[in-house]
Amino acid sequence: MTLEMVLLAGFGGALLTWLLGKVSARLRNGLAVLLALGMFVAVCLMHGQSFQRLLPLGFMGLRLSVRMNMLSWLFAVLILGTGLLSVIFSLRYMRGRSRLDYYYFTLLLINAAMLGTVVAGDLLTFFICWELVSWSTVLLISLKGTGRAISAGLKYMVMALAGSLAMLVAILSLHARFDTLTIPRLAELLGAAPLGYVLFVTVLMSAGFLVINALWPFHGWLPDAHAEAFSPFSSVLSGVLVRKGLYGLYLLVYVLLGTGLLQRLAWGALSYLNVMAWIGAITVVFAAFRALVQDDSKRILAWSTVGQGGYMVLASSLATELGVAGGVFHFLNYCLLSALLFFVAGAVEHRTGGTRDLNALGGLMRRMPVAFTGAMAGVMGVIGVPLTNGFVSKWIIYKSLLSEGRPFLAFAAFLGTWGTILYGYKFLHNIFLGRLPDRFAEVRRVPFTMALPILVLTALVLVFGVLPGIPLSAVSAAGVSMGFGSLGLSVWGITTDTGTLNVVNLLAAIVAGVFAVWALWRGLGRSVRVDQDDSYAAGMAVPRQRYNFTADFYGPLRRIIGPWAGDAADALLVGLARRTALVSDAFRKLYTGYVGSYVLYILLFLAALIFVQITWSPWL
Amino acid sequence: MNVLWYFLSPLIALLAGLLFLGLARKIMARIHWRYGPPVTQPLIDIIRLFSQRSASHGALFDLGLVLSLAGSLVITLFLPLGNIAPMSGSGGMLVILYMMLLGPLGMALSGGASANPNASIGVSRKLMLAMGYELPLLLVLLAVMTRFDTISIVSIVQQQRAGAWSIASFPLVVSGIAYLMVLPAILGLRPFEVAGAAQEISSGPQVELGGPYLALATMQHGLSMYIGASLFVNLALGGAANPFVFLVKVLVVLALCLFVNASFPRFRVEQAIGYLWRWPTLLALAGLVLTVVTGR
Amino acid sequence: MDRNQLIKWLKEPAKMGHKYSLHAVYFCTGCGIIEVPPSITARWDAERFGVTPAASPRQANLFLITGYVSLKTLKAIIRTYEQMPEPKYTVGFGSCPINGGMYWDSYNTIKHLDRYIPVDGWIAGCMPRPEAIFVAVTHLWTLIDKDMADGYRRYRRNYAAYRANQEMVLGELGWPPLFGGEGE
Repeated sequence: MTLEMVLLAGFGGALLTWLLGKVSARLRNGLAVLLALGMFVAVCLMHGQSFQRLLPLGFMGLRLSVRMNMLSWLFAVLILGTGLLSVIFSLRYMRGRSRLDYYYFTLLLINAAMLGTVVAGDLLTFFICWELVSWSTVLLISLKGTGRAISAGLKYMVMALAGSLAMLVAILSLHARFDTLTIPRLAELLGAAPLGYVLFVTVLMSAGFLVINALWPFHGWLPDAHAEAFSPFSSVLSGVLVRKGLYGLYLLVYVLLGTGLLQRLAWGALSYLNVMAWIGAITVVFAAFRALVQDDSKRILAWSTVGQGGYMVLASSLATELGVAGGVFHFLNYCLLSALLFFVAGAVEHRTGGTRDLNALGGLMRRMPVAFTGAMAGVMGVIGVPLTNGFVSKWIIYKSLLSEGRPFLAFAAFLGTWGTILYGYKFLHNIFLGRLPDRFAEVRRVPFTMALPILVLTALVLVFGVLPGIPLSAVSAAGVSMGFGSLGLSVWGITTDTGTLNVVNLLAAIVAGVFAVWALWRGLGRSVRVDQDDSYAAGMAVPRQRYNFTADFYGPLRRIIGPWAGDAADALLVGLARRTALVSDAFRKLYTGYVGSYVLYILLFLAALIFVQITWSPWL
Repeated sequence: MNVLWYFLSPLIALLAGLLFLGLARKIMARIHWRYGPPVTQPLIDIIRLFSQRSASHGALFDLGLVLSLAGSLVITLFLPLGNIAPMSGSGGMLVILYMMLLGPLGMALSGGASANPNASIGVSRKLMLAMGYELPLLLVLLAVMTRFDTISIVSIVQQQRAGAWSIASFPLVVSGIAYLMVLPAILGLRPFEVAGAAQEISSGPQVELGGPYLALATMQHGLSMYIGASLFVNLALGGAANPFVFLVKVLVVLALCLFVNASFPRFRVEQAIGYLWRWPTLLALAGLVLTVVTGR
Repeated sequence: MDRNQLIKWLKEPAKMGHKYSLHAVYFCTGCGIIEVPPSITARWDAERFGVTPAASPRQANLFLITGYVSLKTLKAIIRTYEQMPEPKYTVGFGSCPINGGMYWDSYNTIKHLDRYIPVDGWIAGCMPRPEAIFVAVTHLWTLIDKDMADGYRRYRRNYAAYRANQEMVLGELGWPPLFGGEGE
């Protein structure tokens, strides 16, 4: 199956799903799953291919084209994989809600359009698919139809529009200057262009990518969007959709510009890459501190998405093979982890009647073991505990930062990880640990179609953590396709010039340690299982309603960082939007609806013209 | 002989940790003008605890503790004990930093699974305190790694042994002082004993631990003391040529922290973070800037 | 440590461990607790015998009932006692737990503690001095040595009777029975 056919199937299938939904809901669901599965398998089979082809389709005199290499392949596989799991998860999660045809249509459309974005062979195709994704995302975020959902969708739309307009200006100017938008051709031509022009294009396009990747100071849309979107879509949104900004960045920085040109985009210490790295670093720290004061399970994850995006940009901005590998690998890992965590949050929301408030949940470990397993793997992975996949990518990121001699950036990365520990534990504890409140005593297990994605992702997190060589080989190939050298890999780890990581050592040591302690404990100690209510409560019986510590979990810390961790950037942008709205509203009042007023405006205008002519006589 | 150290070094660390817990009680008693318990008291406690039948709150409750002790034992393979470091080759300081998570994390999971708010409060305090001391600590570690231009802790020790202890050489002395200022917080000793506050929150994460569980937790506590101090000895005091000298250095550092422990009342969490984020952080930042500026 | 001690340690480590590591519940029932601070701090230093206060009943194996037991306190005492891991020892301190003492005809204190939980030893007096606690501890050592500090086994054996007594004065208890049915 060729790539063109996959794209066609994607777009056509989405439409077909919508039409089929009018006939039968069961058929529609079946087609949606089959379509997502088929696209995933078809693209998986394209591993290792590399081509650039024109499509038999034109737009304003330009032929659209597709292209495939390992970087595109990696992004495409993750996009379609997440899409597949998200569709499967939706089957049960969305059951009984309204406008389902529309939901599946948009979800599949986004799936296909995102695929189009990462396999686009020229900037026009890229931009068209990019916009398709953006607009369908707005529709899907606002699907709930509540006031907050619509305003979250609007916020996203305005910010994405601003970003893509900047990008459009850059693309049009490229077309006007070079008369082509094909990526390899542009890469050649840009090398000879004047530096000022290159900077102009680079800054405009980066702005668009930063908005979608939700980096500080353009992160404001993401927490709102996540809080309002449906959980299966949140997985797509957080895992892959925001990362098309990262793909755009790779495309721009390493494919179009290339490292040679990048070296020249520097004025002393102030270079393009340095600025990007510091934006990434600020995002990492800022998001970590914001996340740990959130009280909504999906908002915590949303801020985590912002923060981990910072890691990717931070590492990728080093322009070394290790740094870029760290960035791409972290993207891969976090895609799995965030999808997993959003599925977990969704499963909990589904079974507890829509509860996302972290102060109302607790103790669900006893009722939802599958979701708990997923949450454990997810949180440990995001923290980067050894033997999960997040550990390896974070190790590579730290390693590259340190061996490049960037201790301050490394400090930001480390600090972000500590923030991650805090909010990760809060997520885990407030939902799953502690005492199970009485009103959740009868919560049922996660249904099969929701458990399946969670289990698959949990397994992947652990397998990639123990055998990091498997995903790293793809990551390394993606790096090669961006013009970097390949990494020294083994199945168990990675070898660099200045240090090696070998996970099998850690695995052996931890397994041996756990086994030894377990044997000691089983061999010598005895214990009896007790009920959760047989717990120390200063000699009293445990209160029946709630006996949990969840409210204001990091209260003292919040009181200290609170004044400093306000979201000033977002407040500024929102304030700007409000002012603009006010000013526009004031202008609206000019339209009074009376002919007399309009005549008055015309007369005043003419009088002004005459006054200008008489006083300075500029025209005659 | 080499293989033997894989078993010996965790064992030595465990015994050193328990010995230290005993010594700590003895030293504290002497500072109070008491006679104090025998030095072997922690061992007696552990024997007693293993003979008791305790209440378990489920699989995670058990596994968290096992993981916590196992993680602490494994970390001793990565930290040089004098000239011995069986597994220092894999991953260097970065792996050590991450492996040091396993102990507290296991404890936190077990505490959370015990369905007791006292434990949750203790864990939340512990995490906040960790956030407090990690800020200066990470700056110090980065200064050390930048100065010696390596992430291998063995290499850091060797370079110090070839030259001067890093706490006695110019740019790193600033970082070293900052490290010393946060050491009681890392060890969880008195001005920073917020997590296991016995009188307020019934010893926090350990509130539901009895019998064999408390025995495991006691061992983990001893080990974590040892790990915190031995990291300091390796990074700031130049490690040692053999395990014996190393252990002596560790004990001296721990005794120093005990005097702080004996003379201060407990901070609240805000006060602790307020202290940790002020002077130690400023000093550590100055140390890192100086290290970067002066170069290698 | 003499030779007999060493042999005992090797033969019965659990028993010796219990003797020399008595962790007492931090729980004050009445006025008698006033004698405890001096005995655990610098003046009398109970720690040299291995007696220290424990933060929660799960960590403890010694329960000192220090003073009169009101009904409200009795409930907490029972709950705390049941949460202590076995083996565990109870010592009544002062005359009130023994026979009501000066609260003999009070409407809301109980007179005989050992009707509600098993007691391994008594310290008589009002107030007993801190030295008396040490005498009690050494007596407890002897009892442990001779397997006579068997309150927790009596509690298991006669649980139904104890529970009936508890419910007679307290009404409904807020927790299920510790042992099913008649005990073991």
